[in-house]
Amino acid sequence: MIRFENVTKTYRRSSQPALNGISLEVERGEFVFVVGQSGSGKSTLLRLILCEVAATSGSVLVAGRELSRLPRRKVPALRREIGTVFQDFRLLPNKDVFGNVAFALQVLGKSRQAIKAVVPETLEMVGLAGKEKRLPHQISGGEQQRVAIARAFVNKPLILLADEPTGNLDPTTSLEIVRLLDRINRTGTTIVMATHDNGIVDQLRKRVLELDDGELVRDQMHGVYGGHR
Amino acid sequence: MGGIASMRVQFILSEIWVGLRRNLSMSISVALVTMVSVLFLGLGVLAQRQVDTMKDYWYDRVQVSIFLCTANSDLPNCSTGAVTDSQREEIRSQLDAMKPLVKNVFPESQQQAYNRLKSQYKDSSTYREITPAQMPESFRVQLSDPTKYDVITSAFIGAPGVGDVQDQRRILDPLFNVLRGLSFGALGLAALMVLCSVLLVATTIRQTAFSRRRETGIMRLVGASAFNIQLPFILETLIATLVGSALAIGILWALVRYGIGYLGKQLPINFITTADVWTVTPWLVGTAAGLAILTAWLTLRRYLRV
Repeated sequence: MIRFENVTKTYRRSSQPALNGISLEVERGEFVFVVGQSGSGKSTLLRLILCEVAATSGSVLVAGRELSRLPRRKVPALRREIGTVFQDFRLLPNKDVFGNVAFALQVLGKSRQAIKAVVPETLEMVGLAGKEKRLPHQISGGEQQRVAIARAFVNKPLILLADEPTGNLDPTTSLEIVRLLDRINRTGTTIVMATHDNGIVDQLRKRVLELDDGELVRDQMHGVYGGHR
Repeated sequence: MGGIASMRVQFILSEIWVGLRRNLSMSISVALVTMVSVLFLGLGVLAQRQVDTMKDYWYDRVQVSIFLCTANSDLPNCSTGAVTDSQREEIRSQLDAMKPLVKNVFPESQQQAYNRLKSQYKDSSTYREITPAQMPESFRVQLSDPTKYDVITSAFIGAPGVGDVQDQRRILDPLFNVLRGLSFGALGLAALMVLCSVLLVATTIRQTAFSRRRETGIMRLVGASAFNIQLPFILETLIATLVGSALAIGILWALVRYGIGYLGKQLPINFITTADVWTVTPWLVGTAAGLAILTAWLTLRRYLRV
């Protein structure tokens, strides 16, 4: 589903590469934690998958596409295969819960009937049934992140990227959010979650990729946060 | 399929409505600056049409006058005294020979010239002392092609019995030149205003793109196409531009209908009418809309990466 082959990314005006010669493969339906300190390259890894930045060298393959050879006009189609969740939720403050999730379908030109069918179903799945009319500021942080997850998942993407999705949440809520991602993973969606929340990584015992200063220092099935270094 | 299309239209319209409302003061300023630039553009174009209208009208009536010698004329070619009958006949037959360039010949006697002068300046004391004998007799020559007046001038100037040859175009041309100059001035101002509106549209779109970066960011993430992301911005600009152009056209129409319409009743000159306003409207609106779309598109390419 995702394959990095000797990928290096150096940002302009930066002498050190953000990612240095990374090779990895994530299979369809996997759940992978990407761990590492701030600045270790976790976000760069996700941005490369989203085709927000291009690799300086090496090749990135996502959902059967070689991204360095993907023309710009085909990038939107790639992104429709990928859902994304962020630490800061990124909800539209003037739209209610339903509107925020529906927005993802509306901008893709989906019909009103399709939206009316799919959005409640997705809200139900993330545990927000009955809160459709609430505005983002009227619900808790955990609920806001559920809205963001619903929006990322409503289009049934192949891959769901989560960049520190629990960074703003308390431990209990964080665990609920990751359990929700786990449920989504069971529907067949590949999940890549960048985090430095060791409690969660230790509890879920999923595959762990550890980055340190742009290098991949660990790739462990059923790993824990600290690993054995 | 129809469902998809109507959903899209409805969604885009509601987004535009929200955008225009949220950005009301900027939208109004784009509309007003567009109004002023289209107004100047329209004034320039209409002034050009006014010159053309007057030219068509006057050049049809313009004549070359061949003034004949009078008994007491002090023109150098009239030293032999008043024109003789044979000289007059000679000039007449020469003019007949110059058809079809010469369309019509109207002979004007000294008495007719005197009457015309009197009727033109009936309130003026300047010409009170003048007598018919002082007025030159003339042939008024109408040409099929008024630009070829010099053919007549060179044929008759210095001919026996001819005092002077005058082309009325020479009198009208400075007037037309002034009008043309004014219209170019209006067009120059229009160019300046158009530049202003282009810069304002670019700035507005930059600001709007910035204030809506959350929405566009989400649109990008869920895979909306560049066209779908940019369309609301372009349509909002287009609506503001069209409102501004419509206001400008309204002002131009009122100026021509009531301003020039009033002048037309006072002066015996052919003026442009509101029909001329409608003729230039598609060009004015098209230019304003085209420029707005182009500016919006170029700005978005730069400031709204997809």
